[in-house]
Amino acid sequence: MAEQQKSKNLVKDVSFRVAKATVKAILVYLLYFLLMPMLSPLFEMVPGFVESIEAFIAFYIVLMILGDLTSKTVFQHFFNTARALFFIGYLLLSMGDGVFSTSYESFSLTVNLTLFYTIAATLSLLGLARTILQAINFMHEKAEADSNLEP
Amino acid sequence: MIVPIRMLGIATSIFWVLLIAFIALAAYSVKDLSVDFGEPEYTITAEGELNLALPLYVDNRGYYSLKDFHLSTVFSDAEGSEISRSDTIVPVIPHGENVTITHNVTLDPLSLLERGEQYLFNDNDLNVSFTAGLNFAELLPAEISANFTFPWGAPFYNFAVGEPSFEVVDLTHVMVSASMSFENHAVFDIAGNIRIELYDSGDSLLSESQTVLYVPQYSSYEDNIEFALPLSASSLSTVQSGHFEVYFDIGVAHYGPLVVPYG
Repeated sequence: MAEQQKSKNLVKDVSFRVAKATVKAILVYLLYFLLMPMLSPLFEMVPGFVESIEAFIAFYIVLMILGDLTSKTVFQHFFNTARALFFIGYLLLSMGDGVFSTSYESFSLTVNLTLFYTIAATLSLLGLARTILQAINFMHEKAEADSNLEP
Repeated sequence: MIVPIRMLGIATSIFWVLLIAFIALAAYSVKDLSVDFGEPEYTITAEGELNLALPLYVDNRGYYSLKDFHLSTVFSDAEGSEISRSDTIVPVIPHGENVTITHNVTLDPLSLLERGEQYLFNDNDLNVSFTAGLNFAELLPAEISANFTFPWGAPFYNFAVGEPSFEVVDLTHVMVSASMSFENHAVFDIAGNIRIELYDSGDSLLSESQTVLYVPQYSSYEDNIEFALPLSASSLSTVQSGHFEVYFDIGVAHYGPLVVPYG
């Protein structure tokens, strides 16, 4: 009976995780879908940037789904940290020194994104710090729970 | 520890939402920003300089004001020497407003002529370096630059003085006449005079003639110039070959002598 109840709870838990991961992925994709037409005037100036953003969104959603599916395990924190690091890496590689330049025929356009870059980098570092704190907290709670179980 | 972590998460999320919303609105505003150039107008200033007024229509229908709008043009010759530099600065273009900016470029024909007579007699291409910049939404400084050529039309293109012809007017004078022609390729009308001195083969000044002219832009000019010479046996023999010395005075430029041999 207890075994059956445990199995039922596990199915319920996994279903909840899958549902949560699906809803979050849909929300993120919807946000991208709504914002993309607004940002496309800027993105069209840079060849290959739209494809790069699509790849970034796809990888980000995959890491997010994996993090949600493995919630309440240490792997959730691995995936969340990987997601935060991937975001920082993408930001560093795509933005370079924060000065964006593109040329079209004899025209060249330069946009200084340093301030935006600084804010985005600071926020993503805060995100990384948060995932690390969550991992520490998870390990702390697990150790506490284990010590309580010991006679 | 859970509460600080959640607070950190909430604060980070709020800032991300604000940042993304700002960037999305800024990008959306770029779509509603239009910049058009009008027809340039050419005038000659009281100082004899050529002024090019380029109207620029900026319609800012976006959500943000444009600050520190600046427009700079640098004209240089084929060798890269700077001829003229002009800057126009507009501190603020408020959102929802249509602003007309006039960018004035002043070209000093004298400084062009100092670089050689080719600007007076031959069409040329001047190099123009154009830079426009603004601070978009007070957070994103942007700059656009371009290099192109500006066609310089020579005011005395294909200038020529024909072979002189001689006609005895009376017992004391000979009338020498020669044709003079050119095309005004310049963007401005020519109003001034041309003084021509007639020299014989011994480099002696025989006579001079002055022609007042008005030649509209992009039109041709052709006329005869006449010199009255005292009639003598020696003058008739030495005047068969020699040269003209031509002096130009068209307000924006004084140039001379241009030596045109004949005979």
